[in-house]
Amino acid sequence: MAENKYVLGMADLLVAPAPATLVTLGLGSCIGLVVFDSHARVAGMAHIMLPSSRGRIGNEKVGKFADTAVPALIEEMLKRGATRPHLKAKIAGGAQMFALPGVNADFLTVGAKNVKETTMRLARLGVALVASDTGGNKGRTIEFSTSNWLLKIKTLGKGIREM
Amino acid sequence: MEISDFNELQLDAIKEVGNIGTGNAATALSKLLSCKISMDVPNVELVSIYELGEYYGDPMETVAAVFVRSVGEFQCSLIFILSEEESRLMVELLLLQQFGNLIPFDEIPEYMSDSALTEVGNIVLSSFLNAINLLIGTQHQISVPGVAHDMMSSILDVVASIFGQMGEMALMVNTALNVQGVKEVSGISGKIILIPDPDALEMLLKKLKVM
Repeated sequence: MAENKYVLGMADLLVAPAPATLVTLGLGSCIGLVVFDSHARVAGMAHIMLPSSRGRIGNEKVGKFADTAVPALIEEMLKRGATRPHLKAKIAGGAQMFALPGVNADFLTVGAKNVKETTMRLARLGVALVASDTGGNKGRTIEFSTSNWLLKIKTLGKGIREM
Repeated sequence: MEISDFNELQLDAIKEVGNIGTGNAATALSKLLSCKISMDVPNVELVSIYELGEYYGDPMETVAAVFVRSVGEFQCSLIFILSEEESRLMVELLLLQQFGNLIPFDEIPEYMSDSALTEVGNIVLSSFLNAINLLIGTQHQISVPGVAHDMMSSILDVVASIFGQMGEMALMVNTALNVQGVKEVSGISGKIILIPDPDALEMLLKKLKVM
């Protein structure tokens, strides 16, 4: 059966039934979060930009912040037939693109904060994080397929790995 | 104040700042490479942060980027971006200029060509900043530059995460320097992006007396 391919842009959040391929291009400090349930055959992805909405989310996209994206993605998964005990998560991204010696700027380390917040939110909601490829200083392009429930990660100069 | 609230006069003032910065950067680059540099008229544009990845075209294009941070009264970040191919040409040109044919480009290890590229970026961006700070009469300090080779959209994540903390729009002050007709090189074009810190824009507009 032909798979439906979805490409997610910044702050997008999407859930799709199998067969599906979920793609996000060129993640830098952003996080690609995948939540899936292989029993209910449904998968979702969010492209998270920043760790915290600081409670001031108005009409902004819920996928933008880790603290709003994680619960929203899980809720959407449950609505689409997934069951909580079968939910699993994989994350990739959260790189630090530039390192400036002696510079203390929040936005330079936003990747690490994204990883921390996303991981913490998943744990708090009881979703098992089964694989992660985060940090470093390289951007990633990711592709999740419901044909094998694997996340394919392409990194410049490092090739492709699946997890 | 929201970025989208800026009026025409204010955007024009910011554009002029970009113009002055670019002019100075072009002069510096011209001296460094001993060749003619032309510059694009800067543009100032409000862009949705969600669309930044595609702002310069293909989000997957491999680019080289030099990043500096400026602290002082007018706090901002600056990025100098070239395509991977153009960054290679730029370094080659610099070496040719400084050492003639003494150093075969292909034998230079990556860390050294990176170092050369970083220095070009540093000179371009420092000149840009010097002109702005001179214009508004402020003191500033520039960080050590950082360099990255990666996908365009990964590099622009930095821009999106800065503006994303404030809202959903990014104010893109951007321009390009074009190295002209050097031997077989038909042209090298580098983009400069100015990213003011959240509070710095208001300060800049006040200094320019348009707020």
